[in-house]
Amino acid sequence: MSSSKLCFLTVGATASFSELIEAAVSPAFLTALESQGYTELSVQYGQDGQQLFEKCKTVAQGTSKLKVTGFDLDKLGLGKHMRRAKGGKDADEGVVISHAGSGSILDALRTGVPLIVVPNETLLDNHQVELAEALAEQEYVVHGRLPQLPKALADAEKLRQRAKEWPPVNSGPERGLKGILDDEMGFLD
Amino acid sequence: MHIILTLLLLTLPLLTTTALLLRARWILSPSRTKPIRHGRRNPKEPTHLLIVLGSGGHTAEMLSMLTRAVNEPSERARLNLRDYSHRTWVVSEGDSISAQRAKEFEDAASGFGQDSIMAGKVKRATDMGPGSYEVVTVPRARKIHQSVYSAPVSCAQTFWACWSLLVKQLEQGRDYPDLILVNGPATATVLVFASIALRFFNVKGCVTRGKMRTIYVESWARVKKMSLSGTMLSRVVDRCLVQWPQLDAKRNGTGKAKYVGMLV
Repeated sequence: MSSSKLCFLTVGATASFSELIEAAVSPAFLTALESQGYTELSVQYGQDGQQLFEKCKTVAQGTSKLKVTGFDLDKLGLGKHMRRAKGGKDADEGVVISHAGSGSILDALRTGVPLIVVPNETLLDNHQVELAEALAEQEYVVHGRLPQLPKALADAEKLRQRAKEWPPVNSGPERGLKGILDDEMGFLD
Repeated sequence: MHIILTLLLLTLPLLTTTALLLRARWILSPSRTKPIRHGRRNPKEPTHLLIVLGSGGHTAEMLSMLTRAVNEPSERARLNLRDYSHRTWVVSEGDSISAQRAKEFEDAASGFGQDSIMAGKVKRATDMGPGSYEVVTVPRARKIHQSVYSAPVSCAQTFWACWSLLVKQLEQGRDYPDLILVNGPATATVLVFASIALRFFNVKGCVTRGKMRTIYVESWARVKKMSLSGTMLSRVVDRCLVQWPQLDAKRNGTGKAKYVGMLV
């Protein structure tokens, strides 16, 4: 019996992102997951995503034996799910796929699990693409594009090899946020 | 006679405008009077920090920043929540997740400071304990996808709620916040403008006593262009911190935007 390997997908809590659910819970992507040794796909599909998720799941599972699970939201945060994707004693390290929300990106970077960021291109004023590009350039994440989700999965395997730490060493002001608060407060010591 | 009267009528608006502008410039100047403090945790000088949790990614980034700050490996850079004898957390109406996360952060972080430098020594009289905190709710200034036309109404409601919330601090035996820390979105912007209005009219001496200095942190998710909140606030806050070099005021940023590195 080989160990488990989880792919955790999150679309966030605020806006819906049906294109990402459709692209991930699809026969093509499940095949890609299986070929990389994954055993489970877990999907956080958001408040109004359940119907779509169930529909896609029925179609996709006709062709694949991969375990597909889902839930709408987790009030306690996604840390638990990220850690599950990170693996451990009897689970291999998997991957997290995220809409480009900064909260989920930070959670995944801190957990140290390979991350694929897929910005929602249909949102107005899409600064999330810029963040995904900047972080991909510095090799912290894989910038996934919807039509090529299986390719992003292969790139995530490469990212795993050069896992980087978060927060980056010496990445903030010299005395941190504290120094700035102190200046404004007039704490002099 | 008529000429003098006309001249007077003409110069009056001009003088008023000048006076108002000078007033605005003074209360917005980061170099305005700061209070003199005697030590960090002086029981005679309570300190008050106000933090806005703007929901979703804003809350996540704010808590990420604060969690990093209270866990900094270097003692010099490590934030001690006890430096602020009272903390006010402002969340938007209906955002129970942010309220919950503020409580979790308080429970975890207010215990931190006690055994750092004081370890093994007699507890000093200046140690005031973990202090107190309160989570307060204000109506949302702008819901996601809300139309631009109804926004002024909801913003006015939020403005009033923020104004009252700040003034109420005095009725509750406390004082205005010394420091206001925000990272967007609209609700936080409105709160900052409410604090500026209070300073403009020096309500209960807030500007003479050096209260309500403001810090805006631009979202880490903003790489090349400032957000709307950031663009507006960068000119009126005391400090505007950006986390990507392209957003410094010397490059694409606006107002007082200053690149300080990553804070999250």
